[in-house]
Amino acid sequence: MTLSIGGVELRGPVMAASGTFGYGTEVPLLERRALGGMVSKGIFLKPRAGTPPPRIAETPAGMLNAIGLQGPGVDALIRDYAPQWAEWDFPVLVNINGESAAEYGELTARLDGVPGVAGFEINISCPNVEQGGMYFGNDPRAAAAVTEAVRSRTKLPVWVKLTPMVSDIGVIARAVASAGADALSAVNTFVGMSMDLNAFRPRLSFRTGGLSGPAIHPLAVHLAHQAARAVDIPVVGVGGIMTAADALEFLVAGCAAVQVGTATFANPNAIAEVHDGIAAFLAGHGFRSLAELPRYLPKD
Amino acid sequence: MRLLDAPLVGKRRVSRDIWVLGFEAPAIAEEVRAGQFVNLGLGRGFMLRRPFSVYRATADGRIEVVLKAVGEGTAALLAMREGDSVSCLGPLGRGFDLGGDATTVTLISGGLGVAPMPLAARDARDAGKQVTWVHGARTADELCEEADGDAVVLATDDGSSGFAGSAVAAAPESDLVLACGPNRMLAAVAARWPDAQVALETYMGCGTGVCLGCAVPLVRGGYDRACTEGPVYRAADVDWSALPSHLHYAIA
Repeated sequence: MTLSIGGVELRGPVMAASGTFGYGTEVPLLERRALGGMVSKGIFLKPRAGTPPPRIAETPAGMLNAIGLQGPGVDALIRDYAPQWAEWDFPVLVNINGESAAEYGELTARLDGVPGVAGFEINISCPNVEQGGMYFGNDPRAAAAVTEAVRSRTKLPVWVKLTPMVSDIGVIARAVASAGADALSAVNTFVGMSMDLNAFRPRLSFRTGGLSGPAIHPLAVHLAHQAARAVDIPVVGVGGIMTAADALEFLVAGCAAVQVGTATFANPNAIAEVHDGIAAFLAGHGFRSLAELPRYLPKD
Repeated sequence: MRLLDAPLVGKRRVSRDIWVLGFEAPAIAEEVRAGQFVNLGLGRGFMLRRPFSVYRATADGRIEVVLKAVGEGTAALLAMREGDSVSCLGPLGRGFDLGGDATTVTLISGGLGVAPMPLAARDARDAGKQVTWVHGARTADELCEEADGDAVVLATDDGSSGFAGSAVAAAPESDLVLACGPNRMLAAVAARWPDAQVALETYMGCGTGVCLGCAVPLVRGGYDRACTEGPVYRAADVDWSALPSHLHYAIA
C-alpha cells in the first residue's frame, strides 16, 4: 500500500501523528512493518521545559493535554534522532514550531538537508502555547506567511497541520496551499477545558488543553472533508482514529492518508491494527489498491 | 515490556477500603522489580490505561496490584469477576535500586503507598538486607493488614493503632529509606532523608514515555517522565513545591 503524498513516499496510508510517537524510538511494541511514516514530536529551535503538571485529563471518549511542546530543541534532535531516522525504512517528517515566521524559517534552514529528515509538518495550530501556534492558524495571512517562510528555505516536502479552531477551515487551507504547501494534515486537537470538582479549578495546570480521542472523530472528519474540498493538494486525515473503520471514514471523506495519535497511548499496536484493518477492508471489497476506494468529494 | 491479556485470578480486602487484585501475567511476574508498575487497559469506555505499582509477583505467574474505589476506573476493576481480563502493559518504569551496600532498609508507606512495598521487602531481603516496614494511615481500620518485614511499625494519625502520628515520624534511622505515599508525606521524607528513594504517583497517559503527560518537576529545573525516568526518584531531586498538591481522586 505504498503511496506518494505531497512529495513524501509513504510506506503505507497510516502514519503516526505528532506528539503521540515521540521521536520514533519510544513505542517498542508497535509492529513497525505497518507504519507508513511518522511525524516527530513538535520541535522548536531552543529546548523547552513544557507546562507544569497536571498535563493530561481523561474526558468522555477522549483526553485533554497541555504538554507545552516540551522538547530538546533542534540541536539535540539533529544530534540524537535524525541519524537513527536515516537508517529507517519509513519517512520521518519533523513537526516544526516557532513564535515568529522568521523562527519557522530558521528552524527549517537548520533541518534542511539533514539526513533522516524527509520533510516538514508546520504546526500552525498547537493550542498549548501562549505565544505562537494559535495566532498563525487562525489568520489566513499569518498562516500563509509561515508557510512561505518554510517553503523558501527548503525543497523538501512541506505539509501544514491545520487547527480546527477556525470558522472556515477552507479559507486557511487555500491560503497555505497558495503559499506553497504540498499537503495538509487535518486536524489538530480542539481546545477544551475540564474542571476539578474537588479543587474548584481547571484539571489542567494550563487551564485549557487539546482534546483528542474518539470524542473529536466526527468533527475531524467533517473538517478534513471541508479542507479536501477546498484545495487540490492532498489532505491527511487525523483526529480520534481508534480503528480501521475510523480511518476509512477519513479516506472516503476525501483524505489521501491518515495519522493515528491518541489511540497509541491506549494500545501500543494501534497503528498496525488500523493498517491491517484497512488492508482487509480493501481486499474484502475487491479493491486492488487504496486508489480504488470510492471517495465522496464533491468539489465546491 | 510486554502487552498481554491478564485474567483476574483473585481478590481480597486488606483494609477497610483497600483491595488486592491478582492477575495471571507470567511474563510480567517474572521480570518485574520492586517499584515498577503495570498500565492496565480496561477496554471500552476508558480512553486511558491506569497505572498500578506491582504489589506482589509470585513464582506461579501472578502479579498483584492494590487499589481503592476512587473513580470509575477503579470501580470497574473492583467489579471484575474471576476470569475477566484486563490488558496488561508492563513491567514499566525504573524501580528501587537495592544494589548498594546498605545493610538495613526502612520501608515507609502511607495509605495506598503500600503498593510497591511487598516487592521491595522481597527484593531487599533477597539482597541480604534487614527490613523494617513502617506503615501509616489516618485510622486503624485504614491500615493495610499485610505490612511485614523483620520488624513492622504501624502509625495512625488519630492514634487508634500503633504510633500516634505520621509514618515518617515513626520511622527509625537506617542505611536506606524507600517510601511511597501522598506527596506531602514524601516531601517530609525528602526533608529528613534527601537520599531516600521515593515512588511517585502521577497522572499518566501512555506509560511508555511518548505522551509526556506524567511530568515530574525537578529541582535542577525542567521535567522528566514518571513512567520512564521514574516512578522512583531520589527524594531531594524532586521539586515538591511544584507537584500538584493532590490528584483529583484521593490517593491518601
